[in-house]
Amino acid sequence: MKTLHLGQFIPGDSPVHRLDPRVKILTVLLLSIVILNAGAVESLVVTAFLLAAVALSGLSVDRIAAALRPLAWFFAILFCLHLFFTEGRPIFSSLPTVTYEGLGLGAAVTWQFVALVVSAAVLTMTTAPSELVGGFERLLRPFNRLGVPSHDIAIMVSVALRFVPTLLEEVERMKEAQAARGADFAGGGLIRRLRKMATLVIPLILCTFRRADELALAMEGRGYHRGPRTYLRELKFTRADYAALLAVTAFLAGVEALRFLPL
Amino acid sequence: MIKAEHLIYRYEPKDAPVLEGVSLEIPEGQYVAVIGPNGCGKTTLVKHFNALLVPQQGEVLVDGLDTKDPGAHREIRRRVGMVFQNPDNQIVGMSVEEDVAFGPGNLGLAPAEIRGRVGVALETVGMLRFAKRAPHSLSGGEKRLVAIAGVLAMRPAYVVLDEPTSYLDPAGRERVLNVLWELRQEGISVIHVTHSMDEIVDADRVVVMSGGKIIRDGAPREVFREADVLRAVGLSTPQVTELMGRLRAQGCGVRPDVLSVEEAFREITALLGSGTGGGR
Repeated sequence: MKTLHLGQFIPGDSPVHRLDPRVKILTVLLLSIVILNAGAVESLVVTAFLLAAVALSGLSVDRIAAALRPLAWFFAILFCLHLFFTEGRPIFSSLPTVTYEGLGLGAAVTWQFVALVVSAAVLTMTTAPSELVGGFERLLRPFNRLGVPSHDIAIMVSVALRFVPTLLEEVERMKEAQAARGADFAGGGLIRRLRKMATLVIPLILCTFRRADELALAMEGRGYHRGPRTYLRELKFTRADYAALLAVTAFLAGVEALRFLPL
Repeated sequence: MIKAEHLIYRYEPKDAPVLEGVSLEIPEGQYVAVIGPNGCGKTTLVKHFNALLVPQQGEVLVDGLDTKDPGAHREIRRRVGMVFQNPDNQIVGMSVEEDVAFGPGNLGLAPAEIRGRVGVALETVGMLRFAKRAPHSLSGGEKRLVAIAGVLAMRPAYVVLDEPTSYLDPAGRERVLNVLWELRQEGISVIHVTHSMDEIVDADRVVVMSGGKIIRDGAPREVFREADVLRAVGLSTPQVTELMGRLRAQGCGVRPDVLSVEEAFREITALLGSGTGGGR
């Protein structure tokens, strides 16, 4: 069976792995703000920060590259669009014109996206999906009073994640069942391949609805109800978590402050 | 005690009822097998036991709690655990231990208490070393055991299982049956819906359903003695009982209510002994 590569959790025992998921989620949020506001100097500092985070997390460069690779085309197009369609002083007087401003803007925007993907990848690769869901749930809990059903959202997300491999298996089974009756999934043009996909998608949807029905019954049978519940693991900030959150916040605030210094 | 009285239920108002006036009492601690051909109403009946279905006529009381009272549903579902046929569609958690923790979490227990219960439940079904595994990486039998553990973590007085051994290999089946037997030893009621006669010869009681009614209700020995009644509704008897039946049809004087291989062995050796000894 194919495995999902994009940001898949890689078990480990690095300091980054051990951090409370909430610290990591908040860091990524703050980091995103800084990245989207960053100028040249800030982007160097943030790059250094990201490299340090990758090194601390014990993730290999290959893994990070694997997370970026599916988006390579997107980065390339993004870069070219800015390169060719920004007005300013021309480097070459070709058509379309390549400008210094275009080069700078293209590099900056592409860097922003790469940095965002890398920070998200470090988060999801060092945090088990259940911890990630738990972290989000805990962070959303204060908004319960405003009508945000954090517990229900958490259950929804975790059930969805739990069923991904099950549904993939289901697709494999359907493919085999149809192949056994003479269907040919390899080859053919785009239209034919899409048409063949439809023969899988429709039964899959029907099957999934039936599963959902049974699952709902089973959950009800196990006492599920809307609203607050408790968990096997209640997240708890350790001293290290507080220290890390404080350090990261101070650091990123510092980076933001850089912009106001006359450099 | 679970008490069903004159239960009538139909899925569509115009359809013939699936349950046509079922009355049944299941005391705490009893191992009850429910058998019957497909469509006889077994699953519909047991879904009434934990208020997943509510009687249209008649009533179901679980330890005195009426399943018609929505306010009592949480307590009823805690007392009566339900294990469905397809374990894939009842495992909620992303890991085994989180799944087992789902029920206790719904009860609002403290994390330490949940941890304790998860440990005990997984220990009971022999799945403790799989605690961190992802559910989809388990075998069919292991998934069933996890589903049972998920129910046990609620500390139920009754556990209802709908065909818990279907699609399992012999080893998986054996493990599930051993766990059910262990529950019984611990004083938990087991309500075991099945098509396999061989796996219920040790039950305290066998309830035979057909056409939405209970047609027989008694100890396995009494029920399986009437092979023709079972055959008439499309059921069989355990293999050894069947063998004794055929021997009797040949004119051999063996008991009709033999349930185990040991008993059959004794009957046959006695028969052979008397045959050679008598010589007539």
